[in-house]
Amino acid sequence: MEVTMDPLFLAWSYFRRRKLQQCSDICTKILQDNPYDQAAWSLKTRALTEMVYIDEIEVDQEGIAEMMLDESSIAQVARPGTSLRLPGTCHGGGPTPAVRPMTQSGRPITGFVRPSTQSGRPGTMEQAIKTPRTASTARPVTASSGRFIRLGTASMLTNPEGPFINLSRLNLAKYSQKPNLSRTLFEYIFHHENDVKNALDLAAQATEHAQFKDWWWKVQLGKCYYRLGLYREAEKQFRSALNHQEMVDTYLYLAKVYQRMDQPITALSLFKQGLDHFPGEVTLLTGIARIHEEMNNISSATEYYKDVLKQDNTHVEAIACIGSNHFYTDQPEIALRFYRRLLQMGVYNCQLYNNLGLCCFYAQQYDMTLSSFERALALVANDEEQADVWYNIGHVAVGIGDLTLAYQCFKLTLAFNNDHAEAYNNLAVLELRKGHIEQSKAFLQTAASLAPHMYEPHFNLSILSEKLGDLQSSYSAAQKSEDAFPEHVDTQQLLKQLRQHFAVL
Amino acid sequence: MSSAESSGDGGKWLDAHYDPVAGIYSFSSCLDLADLSGDGENRLVVGDLGSGSSGMKLKVYRGTALMSESTLLDLPAGLVAFFMDLHEPRIPAVAVASGPCIYVYKNLRPYFKFTLPGLEINTLEQDVWQQVREGQIDPLTLKEMLESIRKKADVPLSVRSLNFLSLELHEMDEFVELHKHQPIKRQTVITCIGTLKKNMADEDGVSCLVIGTESGEVFILDPEAFIILSKMSLPAVPTIMDVTGQFDVEFRITAVCRNGNIYILRRESDKPKYCIELSSHAVGLVRVGKNVVVGCTDETLQGFTQKGKKLWKTVLAAPITTMASMDLPTRGFQAVLVGLSNCEVQLYRDKNLLSTIKTPDMVTSICFGRYGREDGTLIVTTKGGGLMVKILKRTATFDDRDSAPGPPLAQSVRLNVPKKTKLYVDQTLRERESGLAMHRAFQMDLSRLRLAAAKAYVKALESSLTPMSASLAEPLKMNAVVQGLGPSFKLTLNVQNTAACRPIMNLAISFLYDESLYRMRNPYMRIPLLVPGLIYPVETFVECTSDKGISDIIKVFVLHEGRSSPLLTAHINMPVSEGLTLN
Repeated sequence: MEVTMDPLFLAWSYFRRRKLQQCSDICTKILQDNPYDQAAWSLKTRALTEMVYIDEIEVDQEGIAEMMLDESSIAQVARPGTSLRLPGTCHGGGPTPAVRPMTQSGRPITGFVRPSTQSGRPGTMEQAIKTPRTASTARPVTASSGRFIRLGTASMLTNPEGPFINLSRLNLAKYSQKPNLSRTLFEYIFHHENDVKNALDLAAQATEHAQFKDWWWKVQLGKCYYRLGLYREAEKQFRSALNHQEMVDTYLYLAKVYQRMDQPITALSLFKQGLDHFPGEVTLLTGIARIHEEMNNISSATEYYKDVLKQDNTHVEAIACIGSNHFYTDQPEIALRFYRRLLQMGVYNCQLYNNLGLCCFYAQQYDMTLSSFERALALVANDEEQADVWYNIGHVAVGIGDLTLAYQCFKLTLAFNNDHAEAYNNLAVLELRKGHIEQSKAFLQTAASLAPHMYEPHFNLSILSEKLGDLQSSYSAAQKSEDAFPEHVDTQQLLKQLRQHFAVL
Repeated sequence: MSSAESSGDGGKWLDAHYDPVAGIYSFSSCLDLADLSGDGENRLVVGDLGSGSSGMKLKVYRGTALMSESTLLDLPAGLVAFFMDLHEPRIPAVAVASGPCIYVYKNLRPYFKFTLPGLEINTLEQDVWQQVREGQIDPLTLKEMLESIRKKADVPLSVRSLNFLSLELHEMDEFVELHKHQPIKRQTVITCIGTLKKNMADEDGVSCLVIGTESGEVFILDPEAFIILSKMSLPAVPTIMDVTGQFDVEFRITAVCRNGNIYILRRESDKPKYCIELSSHAVGLVRVGKNVVVGCTDETLQGFTQKGKKLWKTVLAAPITTMASMDLPTRGFQAVLVGLSNCEVQLYRDKNLLSTIKTPDMVTSICFGRYGREDGTLIVTTKGGGLMVKILKRTATFDDRDSAPGPPLAQSVRLNVPKKTKLYVDQTLRERESGLAMHRAFQMDLSRLRLAAAKAYVKALESSLTPMSASLAEPLKMNAVVQGLGPSFKLTLNVQNTAACRPIMNLAISFLYDESLYRMRNPYMRIPLLVPGLIYPVETFVECTSDKGISDIIKVFVLHEGRSSPLLTAHINMPVSEGLTLN
């Protein structure tokens, strides 16, 4: 006879080993025998929640509705350095767009792609609904509908016989009285079912039952309010929770609320307050660095990333960001060090080799340059990565003067990614060198329409038109270039020259 | 006083009044200060242009309040206050020039209307209209005849004929019926107006009106009888005028003309005596003593003697919007106020900048003089219709700062060049030691990479993967934009013919997509003839039929009729449809 293990214990063991599906299956069996087994029921809800759990702090993307119809921000025209909306206002000694490329929203490209780095705030509705280049999906309509539902409803497909708990028939008041069940139930409703309203009901009743003294429920209430877009209420709950119990998570949630309300300074001071209680906490330091980065204050962002590395020397985001900053401040050899560190840590992907190749080239380590790119090409996961690798090889080819290779590379970039504005721009310059003026003009126009935030195509188009004698289009293109990069001296000179031309009789 | 300090003028001006919504839309030529009721208190008279088509008004301000307002019939071209007689009390009249007429107001009541004499009429034109009146020709023939006259004749057509020529066929009859019984007139339009003392240089001496017209003539009118005392002609249309001297003794009219020249007229001759050729059009003209200061569209301020000799030239920070003279006879101070489009009013004595006043809005007109009982008052109206009054402090002094050129400021700014790190030095050492091996490795990698690139390139060309076609016969370029949140997306394909001069015909677009995921409104489209250089947007709508939150690639082919392989291909990564989740 085989000695059978207690099924609940087995399920618990499975749960701890993160074999969630087996755990859930065993719990289902137990519940079939005894529908009132609270332990099994609770374990199953936890298993199901864990299956679809995503880190609530990290996943955050502003939807179109939040951005275009934002009513919670206080000042429409914020003072420089107090808002995340005006990216160009604060220059903390970072490099200009001539050196470091910009994203669509006018911020320097970061070394690490986070949910919020790819978005920024678009200026117009048209920009907002256009599919951005860096993300393969369009922006979610609202944060509360799009992204979360896509991540959360995976369970709908796996449960053909219907949901495990029928929320509409649940007596929330009863469960809220039972502290041992209510927490797992809440997490199940919030993460698995993604039903924020019911979750809020449950949390409200539970916190009432706990006589408003339980910080955990307050944090959950805050999370619900945040999802519903009620930022002031969320702020109140998180603040109150912090009064009961200092928690890193709560600080992070509260900072997120402030960032959403476009109060980066408050968020920064909150993080610093958190650091007083939890000195050297990596997530708090990262949060500070990210805010500095978003406000274009690259040098202090780098300082904070260095602090992060002092605490946690395997922090990928910090290493990548410092590396990219060194690269763009003309120290590719140091950037190379950081990227090699990432490689030693086991990060092994196309982007890293792509960066390594470029760093090697600019740090004059030519023997490693092309082999890095070859590896990057071998590790390519999708067409866009391939396009980026070819684009960088094209840069190397321009650097060594092999224009045929450069031409082929930029064309390949476009073959893999039709919207690569930089490649269009560079191709236009190459075409112009060959004397194909019409082609060059067409490419520049395309680049300008694909990426209105880049100044290069506008400026090149302006020079080209000026050479052709089309002063009017030259002037309008130069003005666009000035909008994208006001400090660009060459644009200023061209504009001045054109204005003189117009004024002369 | 903090407001005065913050405005950056060094505390020389007192902010007396600012009304950002005064609703005054005017230019410097339509602003004047005069003691309209003879009580020793000067009023501000404004010819308001309103919205440009309606709401033209003559406004009079006293202190900070609007005192009176009367409607003008037409857009004012200029406004001057002048003494027309010797009666006591000495109350000046206001002359408003608009269209071909001058409206003279006295005690703020309409007093007299002077109309410029009509111009010579083309006799042929007169004959034709005569025939129309007699019913001998119909409107169509009239049109033909007028058009032939317009081409040949030396004397231009009248406004009525020109209006008629611009009409559509069905409107002609009505127009002819309405107008045929009136005689034809040809009138010119006043472009600028000024005053000239008759025989006394006193402040309250009787003045003549000086008028510049669109026909390139300058008239001097007698103030009492309103007859033309003198008529002079210019080679071009005057736009800004400055008059000095006395009519009976000697006078000088400096007129800026539309051809970019400045002409100087004197008493003896009816033709200009001197001519100044500017390098760009003039925006404003101010006389300081015996010299003339001209602001030009190329952002410069230039000084000339009264004989047209150039004295100096300074470059300004922004385009000039308007200019006015600042004259304080009690202090013997004369300078030029220049309104700039960067929301500043700058004060220049000769080429030296004395002071700068920051304004909240762009300045459109400036007037300096006695307002109320205060001698040094600056009145400024802004582009947004605001009215601003500033009083010069009695303690204010302006000292000439000669802006002698020193070394430029940027010269002392240190460039932030990063230091070369030790790592860099080490690496260069490595490079020096094993240069040969590195070079070999690089060259080998390079050849391999060239091969790989060429292979990939050929593959892309063979399958026409690139969004621009490589064939010389049909140089095409395409890029695709997807807009929308789903389930319905708008797909815009921008097709462009990049050939130098040859159009491309017989093209079509088709799509390849997963039919279980997407539905396309028209999966096959013909492209019209492509003219070189233009971008042709081809639009279609794609509907996502799946609610699973997955997306796919849609391939677009541009095909040539009668050929099986596509000219070019584009792969569109469709975004995930968000719309279905938004019940």
